[in-house]
Amino acid sequence: MRRLTSLFLLLFMLGAAPRLAHAGGGIAFVINSAGASVSVVDMATKQEVRRIPVLREPHHLMLSPDGKSLLVGDTVGNEMLFLDPATGALQKRMPCADPYQLGFSPDGKFLVVNGLARNQVDVYDAATMTLVKRFPVSKTPSHLDFSPDSKRVFVSLQDTDRLIAFDLTNMTVLWDKPVGKTPAGVLWHDGTILVADMGTDHLAQVDPKDGRVIADIKTGRGAHNLFLSPDRKIIWVNNRAGGTTVSLDAKTLQPIRTYKIPGGPDDIAFAPDGKLWITRRWAEKVAVLDPATGEYATVNVGRSPHGIFLNPNAPSPTPVASR
Amino acid sequence: MQDPFDLTAGWLQEHLLIPLLYETGLMNWEDVSYGWALFAVYGAVQVAVTFAVCLPLEHWRPVERWPDSKAVWVDALYTVLSRVGILPFVTYVLFYRIQVWANGTLADHGWVPPTLERMFPFLMGEQVLTFVVYAIILDFAEYWRHWLSHQFRWWWALHSLHHAQRQMTFWSDDRNHLLDDVIAFVWFGVIALLIGVPPLQFPLLVLVLRFLESLSHANVRLSFGWLGERLLISPRFHRAHHGILAAGQRSCNYGAVFPWWDMMFRTADFSRDYVQTGDPSGEEALATGTYVEQQWAGVRRFLRSFRRRPAARSGGVARSV
Repeated sequence: MRRLTSLFLLLFMLGAAPRLAHAGGGIAFVINSAGASVSVVDMATKQEVRRIPVLREPHHLMLSPDGKSLLVGDTVGNEMLFLDPATGALQKRMPCADPYQLGFSPDGKFLVVNGLARNQVDVYDAATMTLVKRFPVSKTPSHLDFSPDSKRVFVSLQDTDRLIAFDLTNMTVLWDKPVGKTPAGVLWHDGTILVADMGTDHLAQVDPKDGRVIADIKTGRGAHNLFLSPDRKIIWVNNRAGGTTVSLDAKTLQPIRTYKIPGGPDDIAFAPDGKLWITRRWAEKVAVLDPATGEYATVNVGRSPHGIFLNPNAPSPTPVASR
Repeated sequence: MQDPFDLTAGWLQEHLLIPLLYETGLMNWEDVSYGWALFAVYGAVQVAVTFAVCLPLEHWRPVERWPDSKAVWVDALYTVLSRVGILPFVTYVLFYRIQVWANGTLADHGWVPPTLERMFPFLMGEQVLTFVVYAIILDFAEYWRHWLSHQFRWWWALHSLHHAQRQMTFWSDDRNHLLDDVIAFVWFGVIALLIGVPPLQFPLLVLVLRFLESLSHANVRLSFGWLGERLLISPRFHRAHHGILAAGQRSCNYGAVFPWWDMMFRTADFSRDYVQTGDPSGEEALATGTYVEQQWAGVRRFLRSFRRRPAARSGGVARSV
């Protein structure tokens, strides 16, 4: 009987320990594109605690303007999932054709969804989630970003080496221009647009007025994606073929430092402690990079981790028995 | 726990495919190449596991021994092409893209293509259970595709390449005419569209199924017993389908993994023991030609099937060896 009691106590401790520890540690949501799931990671322990199953192939995610929902696009499943960003609980599902990359306009009025496989860019009314306008495009709309006034959205067309600009006021195409080989990541920065040309070793700096390439900024082989740091001082660029992450001075666009991040670095999320959470597509891992030391911790997740979102204010996620 | 297959595919992607794509200006294929790498790694493991298990079995209790096994090597080539090369490529480049496009189009018109998980929400996240259900549905569809391939003269002309092998071994599973493979691909694609097959979600389980299909072709005296043979298709059961007198339109045992459909539709024959395999009605090149000669002979037979009157249906009792 004493043995049995001890066993119960042990089981209780094992079961309860993760729940009691790390309160307020925060949640990292990591999309496993080829694993049809979203990993829920305890930011404090850097341990995956569970997986949220989705239908087929999710890629990107975005917080709604009111902060109440985390939208996850499942491309092959043709649906948008709405998760509670504090817990990961499923709020609702919405049929949606091929939602690959998605983004809300800064004023929160529009949700723009790139249909990579269907060669379309859909503009939704963010309040009602109804389709306002569909733009057929030449091929593979990949990444996107908005002008700060929310009047324009810029989308890279990966397979046709072009960047396309849409006017969200009149719902028209402003221009559609070549910007370099295999453009992927797009970032509005300081009155220009920076586009990561994955088929090259540089970013293209583009004039938003007419789509003209003003300059090339060398970063590394296979420049894939780029992000502005929360303090707006550094632009971080992931180079897919080189397996590096490069910091650029946001004012001068000059490189500061190169970090070796193997395994196909892709998306980045910034933690309040200054660390970068970087998905590594072919390694089933997330790198948590300390830019000061250049060292990174590793978080094991699912197959082909892609989009990532950090909610540092959420309580630590609750572990469950099954994944 | 990191999946060693995935990590191997990742290594291939990072150190071989991406540098190649980057240097050749084809980085827009980088997502597809990773999918291919995953399929190819699982395919290579399939081949290795099948080889490691079936080869000792075939040496242990072979049905037949041949002085010259040259024809078997062509089958090995079929297997490697199918599991490491062509199949992953077709699956990822064609099937995947068509499926995404077609499903998206349907979703766009207000009709969300069904998936088992939507119909039965309790399956969501239950990968093993979901896989079993998918496997049963696909095996059922495969039974009918296979049965139909024996019913139409033109289709049998193509499928007869699979039956021409007189030295049937575990390598013979993938010995198919390319046009027959295309039909199978379309068939599978339509079914997948209807029920939403997610190929990358359970490759390890696909590996197990493919292993069972290879095993069923093995040159081994192996029966699973009265009950076992009614649960899973054994080499003995499937060999009857490849018997020389079962070739053509009056065959038996069409199932791929589960014998249930043969039992249900009265095409099962559990009585035949280790018959001689082959198709005497086909030209010799189909049996012993090189890969190209076999494919070309298949085309000739396919074209002839539209000209000639149907041959007398084969039937009778297969001779045991």
